[in-house]
Amino acid sequence: MTERGAARRPDHLSAVPGSGSPPADAGDLLRLVARGDEAAFGRLYDLVIPRVYGLIRRVLRDPAQAEEVAQEVLVEVWRTATRFDTARGSATSWIFTIAHRRAVDRVRAEQASADRLMKVGVASVDTPYDEVVDEVAGRLERQQVRHCLDGLTELQRQAVTLAYYQGHSYREVADLLEAPLPTVKTRMRDGLIRLRDCLGVEVTA
Amino acid sequence: MTTVDIHALVGAYALDAVDDLERVSFERHVADCEACRTEVDELRGTASRLADSTWSVPPPRLRAEVLAAVGRTRQLPPLESARPRPDARAAVSRWRRYTAGAVAAGILAAGAGVAAWAVQEQRVQEQSAVVAEARKREARTEAIMAAPDLVVRTAPMIGGGRVTVASSEQQAASVVSLRADDAPPAGQAFQMWTIRGTGPAANAGVLPAGQASTVQVVDGVPGNDVFAVSVEPAGGSPSPTEVVAQVPLI
Ligand SMILES: [Zn+2]
Repeated sequence: MTERGAARRPDHLSAVPGSGSPPADAGDLLRLVARGDEAAFGRLYDLVIPRVYGLIRRVLRDPAQAEEVAQEVLVEVWRTATRFDTARGSATSWIFTIAHRRAVDRVRAEQASADRLMKVGVASVDTPYDEVVDEVAGRLERQQVRHCLDGLTELQRQAVTLAYYQGHSYREVADLLEAPLPTVKTRMRDGLIRLRDCLGVEVTA
Repeated sequence: MTTVDIHALVGAYALDAVDDLERVSFERHVADCEACRTEVDELRGTASRLADSTWSVPPPRLRAEVLAAVGRTRQLPPLESARPRPDARAAVSRWRRYTAGAVAAGILAAGAGVAAWAVQEQRVQEQSAVVAEARKREARTEAIMAAPDLVVRTAPMIGGGRVTVASSEQQAASVVSLRADDAPPAGQAFQMWTIRGTGPAANAGVLPAGQASTVQVVDGVPGNDVFAVSVEPAGGSPSPTEVVAQVPLI
């Protein structure tokens, strides 16, 4: 796969082709942002926003709320850029971790779990997401993630996707899948380890 | 919770599929466990790759709104001496620095782990009486957290942050975690309250002026209807002035 190198390093992909900025590295931009560089922040925004917004929207399922949370996340990135530690992972991973945590927090604050369990069934896990922009880099990345998700066992895949994309706690996932709690915890870990190996994720200290 | 249990949480933790209290317990474990720390970083990096498949472009106005908000938002000052020392205490403080910066909105929402950290800090100061007190508090915290009837409730704070209340009827007490993004303005402090029915709010403790977070045991909370946090003049008020968070308990 010739695009593999690019797909493995999402930091180097430009999110908005033809927007005029040369391809930028999220880590480099974040370092500039940490010094108060608002122009660099604008470029970082362009680089990560389709995935930040897409992720939040997928978890929250409500465009208006997703916009609100995305704004909170980006402002948080600006505010705390000085505290980013390169030894703990990539800049994009750091940003998506903030985005995911905020989206999950919002889901849990807004809806009682039982309420959510009724609305969001297991069957909807793989519902294709509408309004996805069919942009080349995005498509490649999606393909790779989907390919790697396909490599998981059914229980691993469902445990990982129910938690990540729908914001369920592992206890809720256990209820949904009618599986014992320790099994679900194990499948989440196994699943992520298998995904890690498939995606080639490394943390360089 | 045993070490084996807590270690098994690494996948759920990386997926944000744990509750606030498990989160804190796990982070306490990770602070002392180099192997886990590496795995956490890798699995979080892996989980965040799942965002790659969620590509969606927001309305263009969002960009202008974010940039305007950024123009009004002050950045946190950089942390002094960012270079970690290769000993355990440095690892702990590095981890805590990371968590403070990475997810300021309540990564340390609640729990027993914070009490243990308090113990560590006080050991450094070699104040054995204080340590004994902290140990007692920690034991009490652990007992409540281990109660079979534990109910955990959480609510956001106005101005950013979160309040989590873990209550046990059996223990007739709650572990309360307050984690605000910012401390109240100079001369003011957070005060906690319990409210039963339409009765007056009862004082449940005042934080030192300027303090933005705490984890503490509050007795008698399970019998009440509402747990509230307000901003008051330093030292506290007889009744709440400006309520910034409410956790309904029923
Ligand atoms: Zn460990």
